[in-house]
Amino acid sequence: MDKKIYKNPIFVSNPITVLVLGICSALAVTVKMGPALVMALSVTVVTGFSNFIVSMIRKTIPNRIRIIVQLVVVAMFVILIDQILKAFAYDISKQLSVYIGLIITNCIIMGRIEAFGLGHKPIPSLIDGLANGFGYGIILVVVAFFRELLGSGTLFGVQIIPLSWYVKNGGFYENNGLFILPPMALILLGVIVWVQRSIQKELQEKK
Amino acid sequence: MQDILNIFVKSIFVDNMVFAYFLGMCSFLAVSKSVKTATGLGIAVTLVLTITLPVNYLLNKYVLSAGALKWLGAGFANVDLSFLSFIIFIAVIAAIVQIVEMIVEKYSPSLYNSLGIYLPLIAVNCAILGGSLFMQQKEFADVGLATTYALGSGLGWFLAIISLAAIREKLAYSHVPAPLRGIGITFIITGLMGIAFMSFMGISW
Amino acid sequence: MDTNKNSYTIIYATIMVVIVAAVLAFASTALKGKQERNVAVEKQLNLLTSVNLAEDAAHAADKNSYVEKEYAKYIKTSFILNYKGEKIDGDAFGVNLKEQYDLMKKIDAASQSDGKVSEQKINGMKAQLRLPVFVCITNDGKTADIFSCYGTGLWGPIWGYLSIADDFNTIKGAVFDDEGETPGLGGEIAERSFQMQFAGKEIFKGDAFTSITLKKGGATQANIKHEVDAISGGTMTSRGLNKAIKQWLEYYLPYIKAKKDANSSNLSK
Repeated sequence: MDKKIYKNPIFVSNPITVLVLGICSALAVTVKMGPALVMALSVTVVTGFSNFIVSMIRKTIPNRIRIIVQLVVVAMFVILIDQILKAFAYDISKQLSVYIGLIITNCIIMGRIEAFGLGHKPIPSLIDGLANGFGYGIILVVVAFFRELLGSGTLFGVQIIPLSWYVKNGGFYENNGLFILPPMALILLGVIVWVQRSIQKELQEKK
Repeated sequence: MQDILNIFVKSIFVDNMVFAYFLGMCSFLAVSKSVKTATGLGIAVTLVLTITLPVNYLLNKYVLSAGALKWLGAGFANVDLSFLSFIIFIAVIAAIVQIVEMIVEKYSPSLYNSLGIYLPLIAVNCAILGGSLFMQQKEFADVGLATTYALGSGLGWFLAIISLAAIREKLAYSHVPAPLRGIGITFIITGLMGIAFMSFMGISW
Repeated sequence: MDTNKNSYTIIYATIMVVIVAAVLAFASTALKGKQERNVAVEKQLNLLTSVNLAEDAAHAADKNSYVEKEYAKYIKTSFILNYKGEKIDGDAFGVNLKEQYDLMKKIDAASQSDGKVSEQKINGMKAQLRLPVFVCITNDGKTADIFSCYGTGLWGPIWGYLSIADDFNTIKGAVFDDEGETPGLGGEIAERSFQMQFAGKEIFKGDAFTSITLKKGGATQANIKHEVDAISGGTMTSRGLNKAIKQWLEYYLPYIKAKKDANSSNLSK
């Protein structure tokens, strides 16, 4: 099988930094690593399986209600994930709140279905969906890593910066509250794009 | 009255869809290259949000939430359909977008020419679905407050996209480092605008 | 097959809706029990935490059963009060705090209307209030009453439980939670380090009710017993929590005062 299907979405055509898709529901969950990881997993699963299902039924879908059929398939998976999280990972589902529902309108999912699932066989579609979800997840986790480490001094809730460093304990260190605020996620994303496009010069936009 | 004003101002400035919740970012970033197109999309989002949110509010209150079907009879008092809310909300949004598109096309071709191309984009705009989901979470007391929230959120989104478009138009004349050109610098500008908008957080009365 | 025919489209849509609805309804019914248990356990854990019990629940192998067991062991009585401090019928655990809070807001609005709403009507609204109280019997055999509060922070609702020792003056512990306060700023109210400050504070200065206030820069020397350090960078959340605690304790006041007076007359005997 063509390796590009799963290699490209992660590096060359990453859905967030290159195609600029799916930022909506992404950034608000990157304050802490835990929710970001669950969100990344959920999106990967939904993208993969809805791509798979739509690809399976692609020849039967009436053209006029195409978008609605796709939305229904995606929404079904999102509701299933939401129900499962509520039952088995209640704390995390509370932290993700409305953003789980917003996976439905995550442009990556509809984008991949339209661009790939509708025109390819089920198995490649599944892999394409999973790879794109993964490419999206990596960015989420990278952003969350910096925001949690610099903003709260922890990773996955475990203290990383030694407590004795903090000013209140007589040290010199203070958490940077700016990283916790929503705007910092966007600025970090800008920096990630900067780094990526400095390395991969072919992605730079012409003037 | 105070409630209405409070929600209206808060949803435009404090709970801004873009800067506080990152909703509708895809089209926000893609369609903010010129003020003219941004205005079109902004109006379309405000319009669709203001129509879909009250509809979803009524559906949520009288059909979906736990015990909402009481008006059908005592036997329905324990029915909880809230697990269907995502799918119903998105279906309502997709249907209303379709209807609005048809109406606009039929009665005002000139408006359709300027707005029409944005309407299909809106069905999958997270700001619209996000509005409905936040409405469900905030549990507004009546449909008037929900509509106010919708209008305020739409205007907040509108305000955000035209401001960004105006900045990007000026930015065309600036010398931006090559790797940051285009999307990179737009992320950073949006972030800085978000920080500026955070100063509205102190508003309260 | 012609997939563009009207009849095909309609049949297709119908079949799809039926299948999807069936799948979702099945998932929802299958998981409902677990979900409801999660919600109940979270509330039980909050109540226990407010008396500084079950602090190690996060490390328990089976968190849900552990919390349920501890709850059954420590919190045996609960009841509902009306605004006069009289017990009324009902299940305290099932009281929806948000409904009570909305009612309190209406009462506030009515009493600020300069007599446009009659006293009688306001009292009628007050009579509908249902204030839950949980009584915890700690390991040393003493009782602690757990009171609820609910209000609005910066982004959305905040709520919590305050436990007061059997002198009906000293706070034993507190727990707060929020829906969407900024993590690390306003969201700090949900952190134990913040909540621990409440232990040992007092809600009465002499005989006057003072509530507990979140003070920027830490408690002042004069009010060291009645103030805690507010959250830096969370002004709106601190303000909301101040209001929530004060408002709810004021409604509980008739009950608390009666209990406190009974206590002190017992002592003087």
